[in-house]
Amino acid sequence: MIVSWRRVGYVAVVAVAVAFAVVPLLWMVSTSLKSNREITQDGTLIPDSFTFANYASLFNGREFGAYLTNSIVVTAVSVAIALLFGTHAAYAVARFRLWRGMERYVGLALLVTRIVPPIVIIIPVFLLAQGFGVLNSKLGLIVMYSAFNVSVVVWMMESFFREIPVDLEEAAMVDGDTRFAAFRRIVLPLAAPGLVATGIFAIIVTYNEFLFALVLTSTPAAETMPVGAATLIGRINIDWGAMSAAGVIGALPILLFSALVQKHLVRGLTMGAVK
Amino acid sequence: MVTQVTVAPRGSRRRIFGETGLDSILPYLLLAPTVVLVLAVLVYPLIEGVRTSTGFYRFGRRLRDVGLDNYVQALHDPAFLGSVVTTLEFVAAVVILETALGLALALLCAREVRFVRAVRGSLILPMIVTPVVVGIIFRLIYASDVGLVATLARSVGLAPPEILGRPNAAFAGLVFLDVWEWTPLMFLILLAGIQSLPVEPFEAAKVDGAGAWRTFVDHTLPMLRPTILVAVTLRSIDALTTFDQVYVLTRGGPGTATQLISIYGYQTFFQFQQFGYAAALLIMVALVVIAAAGLAVGLMRRRR
Repeated sequence: MIVSWRRVGYVAVVAVAVAFAVVPLLWMVSTSLKSNREITQDGTLIPDSFTFANYASLFNGREFGAYLTNSIVVTAVSVAIALLFGTHAAYAVARFRLWRGMERYVGLALLVTRIVPPIVIIIPVFLLAQGFGVLNSKLGLIVMYSAFNVSVVVWMMESFFREIPVDLEEAAMVDGDTRFAAFRRIVLPLAAPGLVATGIFAIIVTYNEFLFALVLTSTPAAETMPVGAATLIGRINIDWGAMSAAGVIGALPILLFSALVQKHLVRGLTMGAVK
Repeated sequence: MVTQVTVAPRGSRRRIFGETGLDSILPYLLLAPTVVLVLAVLVYPLIEGVRTSTGFYRFGRRLRDVGLDNYVQALHDPAFLGSVVTTLEFVAAVVILETALGLALALLCAREVRFVRAVRGSLILPMIVTPVVVGIIFRLIYASDVGLVATLARSVGLAPPEILGRPNAAFAGLVFLDVWEWTPLMFLILLAGIQSLPVEPFEAAKVDGAGAWRTFVDHTLPMLRPTILVAVTLRSIDALTTFDQVYVLTRGGPGTATQLISIYGYQTFFQFQQFGYAAALLIMVALVVIAAAGLAVGLMRRRR
């Protein structure tokens, strides 16, 4: 009897937690599907009659198509660059003895650049971007995000490489591989789980980034989804239907991506904290 | 986690590294792109930022060097000091609440296996949702006329509460938003921590007839301490520079009720164009964050 009461309590708490997490999201979705009349006058929880007019308004006459493209291009390119640069750098510090034992400090130094809050460099970055003429360009954002991500990639991948025994590469090299070929052929595939988790983490963080995108871009030529959504709601203020649709569309790409990589998601999200 | 492989003894790691020829410069070639990128995009701006912080700017132009005057000015700026206090109150509130809730939920889910996947799946959602969108969601919830809170209040016959229009309520609303968004991260970290604890002490405690609370205080909490410390540190560092959600939800208002340091620094820069002063403010924030991180690392080292 006691056991079953405990179970009831458990289920109740779990249900409350799940509802707590999900209801705010559902409210946004529900609002986005109502007509403005229903939102302001009827005060229903669930829409009586569904309408997609709010969504249509984001793409016709507003620039959500452009925001989406910008976000995808900027995220994909910058994460790819960070993974490419970062895995090679991580391999160098994980496996080689460098000048004056520097291999021991590179990872730590990169971590420090991560701990310094990005907002601290926003002012010089803005002034420099202005000087180099990359304000309001995807290129500027890509360079910025590549740098943010690359330090995370090195920090994470170094420990993954360290866990792979050196003997495997030696064996490949005895068989005639060059050092670099051994890295590509043997080490990289073994570190794939780490690469996937790191990549997922970087993609989510980059897609969601707001501050730098807000400061460095100013037109739909380069503005990303979070900036587009934030500036739209700054302008419309009380058009609740459009606002909620913008929220749904803004978050949808990254939620879809997360659903696709579900299996590896938890690791990607808690990386660095638990290993 | 990683495919379980025997880790080579540390000494043997560098057995094959006395290479000659191309291989001797290979590691530097591998490192070069990363180092150049980080130096150019993160380190150089940081140095530039320090230089900016020693200047007096008007209309975006540096007029003269003022040394540390911007820092001195900040220490006498009630708006800045107010934003520091607001930020610290915010960080303290959200970190305490999120740790407590995350720990309670993790303990609950660690013991039971049922539903854990579903719970994890839905709890992950808030932390993935774009922070700007989180701001939108809570505007839709708090809106005094059409928001979820107002709708629910009306349906039970209460007057819809004014949330974003009143200082204390707006601050509480922001804390609630953050708790919604980030308790899941605490939950995930602590759940992983609990699941990696050894089972023997718990079995022993059970044999000794210890109750759930005693077991928690005597065994779980001490063993979980390092994990909790890491989680609290990470969360505090992030919370100190919260920006996106506030920007969308309140822009620091009403008045200065939700004006966190990040918002104040941003406004100083963009609205008032005081580049030097804003840079000084943000560097002071960085120093606090680094000090906090250093302190946490120190604590963790000592404990070991």
